Amino acid sequence: MDTTSMLQVSNLTVQFGSLKAVNNVSFEIQRGEIFALIGPNGAGKTTAFNAISGLLFPQAGQIVFKGTDITKLMPHKRCKLGMARTFQVVRAFNYMTVEDVVRVGAYNRQGEDTVAAKVDQMIELCGLGEVRQRVCGDLGLATLRRVELARALATEPELLLLDESGAGLNTAELASFMDLLRKINREQNITLCIVEHLMQMVMGLSQRIVVLDSGEVIATGTPHEISNNQKVIEAYLGKRVTQC
Amino acid sequence: MTETAIQGIITGVLMGMIYALIALGISIIFGVMNVVNFAHGDFVMFSMYLSYVLGTALVWDAVQTPLLTFPILLIFGLIVYYLIIDRTLRQLYVVQLAATVGLQIMMRAAALVIWRGQPRALQYSFIQGNFEIFGFQVLTSRFVAAVISLIFIAAVAYFMNKTWAGAAMRAASDDLDAATLMGVNYHRTYALTFALGSALTAIAGGLLMSFQQTDPVGGIRFGFLSWCVLALAGLGSIPGLIAAGAIVGVAESLQVTFFNPQGRLLAVYAIFILVLWLKPRGLFGRK
Amino acid sequence: MKRPKLLNSKNIAILVVLAIAIVLPLFLRTNQYVLFLATTVLLYAVLASAWNIIGGMAGQLDLGAAAYVGLGAFTTGTLLIRFNLTPWVGMFIGALLAMGIATLIGIPLFGFKVKEVWYALSSSALVEVFRAIFMMWNKVGGPTERYLPFSAEGPRSWYLMRFNTYVPYFYIMLALLVVVFIINHRIRYSKLGYSLLALGEDEDAVEVLGVDSRLCKLKALMIYSFVAGLVGGVYGCIYGYLHPSFFSTDMSLEVVILGIVGGMGVTYGPLLAAIFLVSFREYLRASLSGMFPGKGLEGLYLMVYALILIVVALFQPRGIAPLIKRGFLKLKSFVGVK
Repeated sequence: MDTTSMLQVSNLTVQFGSLKAVNNVSFEIQRGEIFALIGPNGAGKTTAFNAISGLLFPQAGQIVFKGTDITKLMPHKRCKLGMARTFQVVRAFNYMTVEDVVRVGAYNRQGEDTVAAKVDQMIELCGLGEVRQRVCGDLGLATLRRVELARALATEPELLLLDESGAGLNTAELASFMDLLRKINREQNITLCIVEHLMQMVMGLSQRIVVLDSGEVIATGTPHEISNNQKVIEAYLGKRVTQC
Repeated sequence: MTETAIQGIITGVLMGMIYALIALGISIIFGVMNVVNFAHGDFVMFSMYLSYVLGTALVWDAVQTPLLTFPILLIFGLIVYYLIIDRTLRQLYVVQLAATVGLQIMMRAAALVIWRGQPRALQYSFIQGNFEIFGFQVLTSRFVAAVISLIFIAAVAYFMNKTWAGAAMRAASDDLDAATLMGVNYHRTYALTFALGSALTAIAGGLLMSFQQTDPVGGIRFGFLSWCVLALAGLGSIPGLIAAGAIVGVAESLQVTFFNPQGRLLAVYAIFILVLWLKPRGLFGRK
Repeated sequence: MKRPKLLNSKNIAILVVLAIAIVLPLFLRTNQYVLFLATTVLLYAVLASAWNIIGGMAGQLDLGAAAYVGLGAFTTGTLLIRFNLTPWVGMFIGALLAMGIATLIGIPLFGFKVKEVWYALSSSALVEVFRAIFMMWNKVGGPTERYLPFSAEGPRSWYLMRFNTYVPYFYIMLALLVVVFIINHRIRYSKLGYSLLALGEDEDAVEVLGVDSRLCKLKALMIYSFVAGLVGGVYGCIYGYLHPSFFSTDMSLEVVILGIVGGMGVTYGPLLAAIFLVSFREYLRASLSGMFPGKGLEGLYLMVYALILIVVALFQPRGIAPLIKRGFLKLKSFVGVK
């Protein structure tokens, strides 16, 4: 077994009817790195994410997490193994308070007697101390992104999947959010896999990038390599430029 | 034995077309708005009473009454949409469901109060008697009802596929945000959808009154039967809906013919549960 | 946040209410009608509190309460009639049976991710189906009432759980209510409670947080059906006969209304709702029966119920409990207590 490998995705295919949303995609995430999955709208990033976290099952392919084949595993069991994720459209629990939401995640590894301490720790880490008694439905997007992050971290993952978690944040919020992610990656040694639209975030954070277009991998490499890759510029960056 | 069975199947298939028509209403509302109207069956019951009232007052035939009950139900649907549904769209799912459960209880209770819970039937019908196919008796009124149901199912399918309003409804169901951006006012589209889905029960109600009586608790039965049809058919397939209607109609009819009529819903429930177990979420449609 | 201590100011208030409830029958001994009403209120409060676990916390619109009540009643009653088994034991067998059937239905239902409207439909159909089955099953049910044996006095009366006064039933229901409250309270501030509340809002989001949503829902359903079965056992004894009409859609609906109007996820909400609504229903029944003979009366109280349900769903979706809480706090500051 390869000990440096956190997640191996091989030949992943997800189909909706006749549409192949993800087609024969393979990539590998190394332990400890910040990895990015990018691509234009509808490239299949979120679909791939859902397959990895278990919210849908792929038609073909294999997903290996820390040496275990998890392709057919239920989402909650993947979480027990050490995988957590956030959602593109924030899915906080609108009627629950921030600390209760974090608590749901913290129960993943903590018993009744230690859970409160874990919640406190996560709330402090994500800077949510002032809003901990507030109900999520009353909070703004930037705060909710942090709540989502806090509850995912509370499950004590080794691999954290972040789905467009920079979307909708302003420059200042984004910068502080990125700092937080770096801190998590460095200090807690959590491997990050980010799906992103925002080039600023991808280029600033990630060490390795996989580019998807129409469900297929079109490039792999470091941020520098990707930004100079002709195919990527055509398929993704180019399109965006002409759009503007 | 076989003859009784075939007789039962014929009756069931004819009945099933009306169920399909009722289920089409649910299907449009559920498919486009992702809103569940628990009271849909009671809309049918309400339409039947309306048909009874109008048919008695105007000495009309039951199948004529939808000329009046259709617009009434259309307006009723609009009122219900703006009064209840529109306000619960962003609510927790249980609460949204509960609001229409409230509507269901309300309508049933109203029927109990107004008509004292007594079954009512129309006396006049120019569609009389029965005819024979290969030696089997077919009640003309049921046959006519089935044919009219099919015509309306086809008409609604055409409307959804070929007209701008239909396209707007489908757009709203595919991607609410995108549809709003493209100038589709989703409140209005939703209202129209809900009203149309509701008004279809007027036709079903009129047809049912041509050979059946109505009573306040019938609404629960129609609601359950048509949800069962929808569970079998899934969203979006018109032939599937018709086939599912036939299956449910036949199951109910055979249960009544061969077993205890008291348990007329047992066979349907069995199908419903089996479908729920064997057809996991993907097959319910796009959701 | 830690689970609140069992003896804080709020719970002292609850204890006061409980004390009043305990002595209430002493003053009402002669008024059987009011005692019956109070027992009915408690019965519905127990059912609605149990529903709170599956409906209020887990967000599953369960319309099957009467199915479990009926199963409990028929099991308890039949065991008494056939085998002379005391309802004190029979009600637990009935509850276990109700729970067993709920589990048998729940495992595949939750396993295949049947939820939302489909769950609501399947649970409401359950009531109708059991009524049909018991209507046809002549050995146990059938269209005529089966009367339970009765003894007016002495230990035999206790053995049969059949009394000529409502006082014992009142205390049985009160005891059940206290038990259900404690269960509710314990679940609410435990892993299961937090998980249920979260999955009631978003099942996928809670799954990726390591919560086995199927198992949680199944646990909720099991607790709920067990309590409903238990209530059913007593229900049969209160009425003194068994009849398939026990599988009543109206009862299921009433339980849901109480649960939602009372406040979803709030322990004491359903009791408040039951006190107001069930008394109101009985008041209507008593005062209007002269004016509206026949079935119309049933319609009237249903109409009021439905109206309240719709209004609460539209304007106060968290139920009346938060309103009461606010009123309570105002009262506190008015009186000057900190």
